[in-house]
Amino acid sequence: MSPIDYLQFVLAPQVVNGLALGVAVVLVALGLTIIFGMLDVINMSHGEFYAIGAYVALAMGAAGIGFWFLLVLVPILMVPLGMAAERLLIRPVFDSKDRHVTTLLVTFGLALIVEDVLKVIFGPNTQRPPTPIPGATDLFGIIVPNYRLFLIAVGALIVAGVAYVVYRTRLGAMVRAAAFDRNMAASLGVPVSLVYAGTFAFGVGLAGLAGVLLAPIYSVFPTMGRDFILLAFTVVIVGGMGSIWGAVVAGLLLTQVQALASLVISPVWTDPIVFGTMVAFLVFRPQGLFGRLGHA
Amino acid sequence: MKARIRITAAVLLAAAALSQPALAQSGPIKIGVVTPLSGTYTPIGQQVRWGLELAAKEINAAGGIAGRQVNLLFEDEEANPAVAVQKAEKLFQVEKVDFLAGTVNSGSTLAVAQLAERNDKLAATTVSFADSITADKCSPNMFRVNARAEQQSVALAAWLEKEKPKSKVFYLGPDYEMGRSTVAAFKANAEKTGAQSTGEVFAPLDAKDYTQYFGQIRASRPQVVYTSVAGNDTVRLLTQLQDFGLLSNLTVVGASGTVTSQNIGAIGAAAEGFATGVGYSTQIDTPANKKFVETFRAATKADPDLYGADSYGLLFAYKAAVEKAGSTETAKVREALRGLSWQTPQGEKTIRAGDHQAMQPMYVVRVNKGKFDIIANVPADQAIGPDTCTRF
Amino acid sequence: MRDRLTTSMRASHVLALIFVVAALCLAAFGAATGDTFYLRLGTEALIFAGLALSVDLLLGYSGALSLGQALYFGIGAYVSALTLMKVPSFWLAMGAAFLVTLAAAIIGGLIANRVRGVYFALITFGLAQVFAKVVYNTRELGASDGMIGVPVIQIGLGPFSVSAASPAGFFLVVLGIIMGLYALTAYLLDTPFGRVLTALKANEKRVPFLGYSVWRARMAAYVFAGLVAGLSGALYPMLRGFVSPELMFFATSGNAVISVILGGVGTLIGAIYGSVLLVILKSIIGSWTEHHLIVIGLLFMACVMFLPKGMVGFVRPRIERLLGREPAAPEPAPPSSATIKSGSAA
Repeated sequence: MSPIDYLQFVLAPQVVNGLALGVAVVLVALGLTIIFGMLDVINMSHGEFYAIGAYVALAMGAAGIGFWFLLVLVPILMVPLGMAAERLLIRPVFDSKDRHVTTLLVTFGLALIVEDVLKVIFGPNTQRPPTPIPGATDLFGIIVPNYRLFLIAVGALIVAGVAYVVYRTRLGAMVRAAAFDRNMAASLGVPVSLVYAGTFAFGVGLAGLAGVLLAPIYSVFPTMGRDFILLAFTVVIVGGMGSIWGAVVAGLLLTQVQALASLVISPVWTDPIVFGTMVAFLVFRPQGLFGRLGHA
Repeated sequence: MKARIRITAAVLLAAAALSQPALAQSGPIKIGVVTPLSGTYTPIGQQVRWGLELAAKEINAAGGIAGRQVNLLFEDEEANPAVAVQKAEKLFQVEKVDFLAGTVNSGSTLAVAQLAERNDKLAATTVSFADSITADKCSPNMFRVNARAEQQSVALAAWLEKEKPKSKVFYLGPDYEMGRSTVAAFKANAEKTGAQSTGEVFAPLDAKDYTQYFGQIRASRPQVVYTSVAGNDTVRLLTQLQDFGLLSNLTVVGASGTVTSQNIGAIGAAAEGFATGVGYSTQIDTPANKKFVETFRAATKADPDLYGADSYGLLFAYKAAVEKAGSTETAKVREALRGLSWQTPQGEKTIRAGDHQAMQPMYVVRVNKGKFDIIANVPADQAIGPDTCTRF
Repeated sequence: MRDRLTTSMRASHVLALIFVVAALCLAAFGAATGDTFYLRLGTEALIFAGLALSVDLLLGYSGALSLGQALYFGIGAYVSALTLMKVPSFWLAMGAAFLVTLAAAIIGGLIANRVRGVYFALITFGLAQVFAKVVYNTRELGASDGMIGVPVIQIGLGPFSVSAASPAGFFLVVLGIIMGLYALTAYLLDTPFGRVLTALKANEKRVPFLGYSVWRARMAAYVFAGLVAGLSGALYPMLRGFVSPELMFFATSGNAVISVILGGVGTLIGAIYGSVLLVILKSIIGSWTEHHLIVIGLLFMACVMFLPKGMVGFVRPRIERLLGREPAAPEPAPPSSATIKSGSAA
C-alpha cells in the first residue's frame, strides 16, 4: 500500500471515525460524570437509562413522532424517571456510612431489573430506528456519513450547553455549592435536597438523550446498557470525576488511542490498553486530568 | 430457626425428587431443553424453543413417540456452560429426562456432551456449529443435526467460484475461537476454488464501531467481504458499511448465523444481497416446508430460521430412533440414531455414524427484499467433509 | 475478656455450626436416598460460597468492594484443571492453584491497593474483565469454549480415599474445605491483624497513629481473600469436569456480591448462607420464569436498602443475646444491635 493510500484510506478515516465514536462516548459519560462529581454517587444503572432512552425513542418513533421532536421529548420524559429513582433508591441510602459502595450496589440491582424489564416489554431481538439523516459526504476523499457529522456537531453543542449551565448559571453555582459543602450550601439557602434530585435527573436525562442520538448508529437491544459502561467509567476517571471538560478530553483521547492502536495491534488488545490507561491514572493521578468539580 | 427451614426445604426438595416415580418405558417421554432464555443469545433460544414445541405438539397430536406423549422441560442456561451443566444435570438426575437438546454456544455443548457421557444419556445440539463438536472433541453421546461450519463454507465457496470466479476476498471475523475458525474454514475453501485473499481482521466481540476497520477494507479493494459476526454485531457491521457507502460495489457473504430472521429486521436494507451457505431457508420449495412455515407462523407470529427448523427436525429424528430401537435406552437409541435417515422441512437428513454429524442438502441463500432466496444447492455428500472423529 | 466483636463472631460460629449440622443431615439424607443432583448442586453452592467468603472478607472487614473477585476463582479453577489433566492428584492441583493464585493476588494487590473506595471497585472490575478477555482469546486455554476432559479424581485423605464422582463423599470434602477456610478467616480476624483491619474500616486515618501500616494490612487481606477465592475455584473442575472463561466473568463476581449482601455483609457466615440461598432461588425461580433477574434484583436492592446486615443480621442479635446471658459474663450485655457498628468516618 502506498503511503498516500494509507493516509487517505486508513489513517485519516480512522481519526474521523474515532472522533464520532469519541463523541458518542462523551455523550454517555457526561451524565455519569455529573452524577458522580456532584452527588458522589456511582450510578451503575447509567447504561440502562441510556437503553431506556433509546427504547422510548424507538417506540415513539414507530408511533410516528419525528426524530427532531424526540430529541427534546425523550430527555424531558426521562427527568421524572430520574427524580423517582433518586427519591426511592438513592435518597434512602445517601447518608449511609459508605455511600459509594451502597449507591453502587443499589444501582447495580436496578440495572439487573431494568435490563430484564426491557426484554419483557420490547422482546429480545435487536431493533434499529431508521437513520434520521441518510447519505454520506465526501470530505477530501474521506467518506463520512451525514448522520455522524451531525452527531459530532450536536455533541459539541450539548457539551457546550451543559458546561454553560454548570459553570456559568446561578443554577449551576447552586449545584456546585451543594457538591462542595452540603451544609454550607443549605445554610446559604440552597434547596439541597431538590438540587440533588434535580442533578440526578439531569444526568439521567443526558443518558436518555445519548440513547436517542446513538440508537440509529449502534442499534437497540436489551443488554445495550453494558455496551459503553466500562469505557464511560474509564473516561470519567481519566477525565476527573465530575469534570465536564475532563470527560470531553478523555473521551476523545481514549477513542483516538483505541482507533489508532487497532491499526498496529490486534484490535482485541485495545480494551486492555484503554483499561491500562485507567489503571495508570488511578495509580498515578487519581484526581484525573482535570481534578474534581467543586473541589478544584 | 432458619437452619430448620433450610433442612426442611432440603428434605422437601429431595423428597420431591424421589417421589417422582421413574416412569421408565411408560408414561410420557421426557425431553430436557437447556437453552439460553435470558442474556445475549435469547433470540436463538427462542427459536429453539418454538421449533421444539411445535414438533412436540405435532408428534403428540399424531399419537406421540411409540404411543407415548412427549413432554418438553425447559431450563435457562444463560449462555454460560457452568449454568448449562448444572441445569442439564438437574434434568438428567431429577427429572430423569430421556434426551437433552438446546445448547447454543459451543462451550455449553461440549460441556454438556461430557456430562451426558458421565450420566450415560444422549444429547443433541441444533445450533452450535463449531467443527470440533463432531471432530476432535466428538462424543459418543452427542449428536448434531444442524450444519457445521465446514458444510456452510463448502457450499458458500462453491457458489462463489461460479458467481465471482477468482474474486478478491477480505475476511472480517469476531475475535474469538468460533470467529477465527469459521474464517479459517471459509478461507481454505475459497482459496481452494481460486479466490484471492486480500486481508483479514478480527474485531472484538460486541464491538461498537466497525468503522475503524473500513480503511483497511477500502485500501485492499476487495470484491467480496466474508464475515462471521452474529447478532447485534451484524446489525452494526452491515448498517455501518451501508452508511459509509461501502456496500454499493461489494458482495457481502458470511456464516449462517450472521443474518437470521432475528436481526434482519434491524439490519433493514443493509442486508440486501447478503449471501450465506446454510441448511435452511423459508423459501425451500417443498410441500413439507410450506406446511412447516405456515404452522410455525401461526403458532409464533414469526418466521422460522435455521435454528427453529433444525430444532423442529430433531424431534422427528429422535422419534424415528426410539421407534426403531423400541426403547429409550441410551445404547439402543444411539445405535438407532447412527446412520438414521429422516425427513425434515429441509429435506432428507442422515446422521453419519462415524462422527454423529447430520448430512443434509446445503443451500446458498441470498437476501432479497428481506427474504432468503435460494440461489444454489449443494448435495449433502459434497458438503459434508471428511469424518475426523477418532473416539468411536 | 469478651468484647462485642468476639461476641458477634461467636454468634456467627453458632450459625456456622448449625450450617454444618444441616449440611451433614443433607449429606446423610442424600446418601441414604441415592440422590445425585441435590448433593452436587449443594457442592457447587459451597464452592461459590468460598468465593462469596472472600468477597465478604474484603467488603465486610476492610470495606473494599471487589467487583472482580471471580478473577482469582477462575485462576484457581484453570490451574486446577490444567494440573488435573496432566496429573490427576487432588493435592497437587490444590497446591498449584494455591501458588499461582498467591502470585496473581500479589500482583493484583499491588495494583488495586493503590486506590480506595469506589476506585478499588472499578479497578478490580477492570482487572477481571481484561484477564477474562485474554483467557477468552487464548487458544491454549481452550479460548471461548473452555476446557473439557478434566478427569474424575480420587482424593486421598490419609487412610481414606474419596472419589470426586461420589456425590456425598465429595460434598463432605468440599464442606470440610470451605468451612476450614471459614474457620481460618474467622481466626485471622480475631487476631491483632484482624483488629487492625476492622479499625481500618472504622477510621483509616487513625490507624497509622497506632503504629500499624495501613497498606500492609490491606495487602495482606487482599492476598488472603484471593487465596480463599482461588482454592474454592480449584474445586470447581473436580466437580464439573470442565472450566470455561465464564467463570471469570462479571456475572460470577456479581453473584458473589449478591450472595454476600443477601447473607449479610461483615458476618462471614452470611456469605455462605447467602450463596446457598442464591443457588436455591436461582434453581427454583429459574425453572419457573426466565426473568429471574427481576426477582433477584429486587431482593438484592431490598437487602441493600433495608437489611444492611442481610439475613444473618436478622438472626444473629438474638444469638448474641443468648451468648451474652451466659453466666461468666460480668460485663454488661451488649446492646441488641451489637453488630460491628463503627464510628462515622472522619
